[in-house]
Amino acid sequence: MSWFRKPSSAPLWREEFSVFTADERYVNRRQFTKFLTLTSFGMLVGNLWILGRSLLRRAPSYPRLTVAATGELAVGGVKTFTYPTAQDPCILVRTAGDTCVAYSQKCTHLSCAVYYEKAQNRLECPCHQGFFSIADGSVLQGPPQRALPRVVLERQGEQWVAVRMEGETT
Amino acid sequence: MTPNPPQNRGLTAIDGAMALIVILLIVQIWLLSATLESYLAGHREAAVPGAIISAILFAACLALYRFVRRIDSDVRRG
Amino acid sequence: MFGMEFYVDPSRCIGCQSCLKACEECDTHRGVSMINFDFLDRRETIATAAYVCWHCDNPTCAQVCPADAIKKYDDGIVGSSLKPRCIGCSNCVLACPFGIPKLVPEYEQMMKCDMCYDRTSVGKRPMCATVCPSQALAYVAPATIADTRREKPVNTFWFGNQKITTKVYMMAPADAGSIAIDVADYTWEGNHELVPQTF
Repeated sequence: MSWFRKPSSAPLWREEFSVFTADERYVNRRQFTKFLTLTSFGMLVGNLWILGRSLLRRAPSYPRLTVAATGELAVGGVKTFTYPTAQDPCILVRTAGDTCVAYSQKCTHLSCAVYYEKAQNRLECPCHQGFFSIADGSVLQGPPQRALPRVVLERQGEQWVAVRMEGETT
Repeated sequence: MTPNPPQNRGLTAIDGAMALIVILLIVQIWLLSATLESYLAGHREAAVPGAIISAILFAACLALYRFVRRIDSDVRRG
Repeated sequence: MFGMEFYVDPSRCIGCQSCLKACEECDTHRGVSMINFDFLDRRETIATAAYVCWHCDNPTCAQVCPADAIKKYDDGIVGSSLKPRCIGCSNCVLACPFGIPKLVPEYEQMMKCDMCYDRTSVGKRPMCATVCPSQALAYVAPATIADTRREKPVNTFWFGNQKITTKVYMMAPADAGSIAIDVADYTWEGNHELVPQTF
């Protein structure tokens, strides 16, 4: 540390723990500023981490999963399943006629489970009143910043099959 | 009871630098959260400019910290 | 800051101990007097001297405190020990050349005069200087001292080779530039012993 300091006659401890309150004002401010700079560095590390993750990602491969039969749900009916892994809860909603949509059930705010509110025809998160559109999962209201990741469904005969996720970074 | 004028000026300079750092930190916090949200939503193009600007903000904080240290060193050991 | 300084003139002390009583009245130190009151040679004379802390420019007590409990403020006053920090080690008691700090065993705390900081910081006089009838302890403007006293104020002390400058002035004969104290001069030998000081 010696090359940091200007040479002086008093040892470092005597200057840092000075008996004069006038000196203490400087020491306290300098130390707080150092703490703020460390915080700034921590956030830089966070941004670099994101950068690293975004550069190193490989395209993920998704399994195919049969979710439900076409006649299984009434209009407005709901079924929950897990896709692509058992740790990813998803929600399937039969919207109108013969169409089904499915989304990840983890709210993009703080991962509470969203549910389908039939009266309002939207996905709602009970924790902080975040509402998502049933059409594309975009945010209608509330603290969530990102749309709900969508499960892309394919109709295979009389089955609804989940083929991949869209709109998320794993 | 008032410190000597040179000491007082040093304190004012340090207070100003600290206020500036706090503002930069607030911007950096927002930048981190915005970059994170956009990355999680799958838009990976925000990561590079986010990292660059965060590095610039950190460099500014570091420069201000070194300024504070210089003032402290000058006033108390000058 | 308010233009007044503290002057101690032991030759004026009449031993009334009003300063002790006035200091004791202060609730900030729970009725313990912070005046150092000496009977100079009780067997031989009724001479007394009352001292307060000298509030040195580079306070030895503060420099030796291991807990960083003694601070010198911007206006030059050296505070008594900070309650949360003092560990009662008596380092300052041993280090002070004037023998001012006292360790109070009941509180495990060092206590010493802080020149009634609650009063002097707003321009009032300390309790002792307010009540001293002979103004052996005086808190006045320097001009008043120059006009009314024959003695000259001195704030430089030599202890052997160590030079100590203080905020509090001692009244000394006009030709005394600094007061040299050699501790050896003040140790008794023979059948005179130091009497225990009580106050």
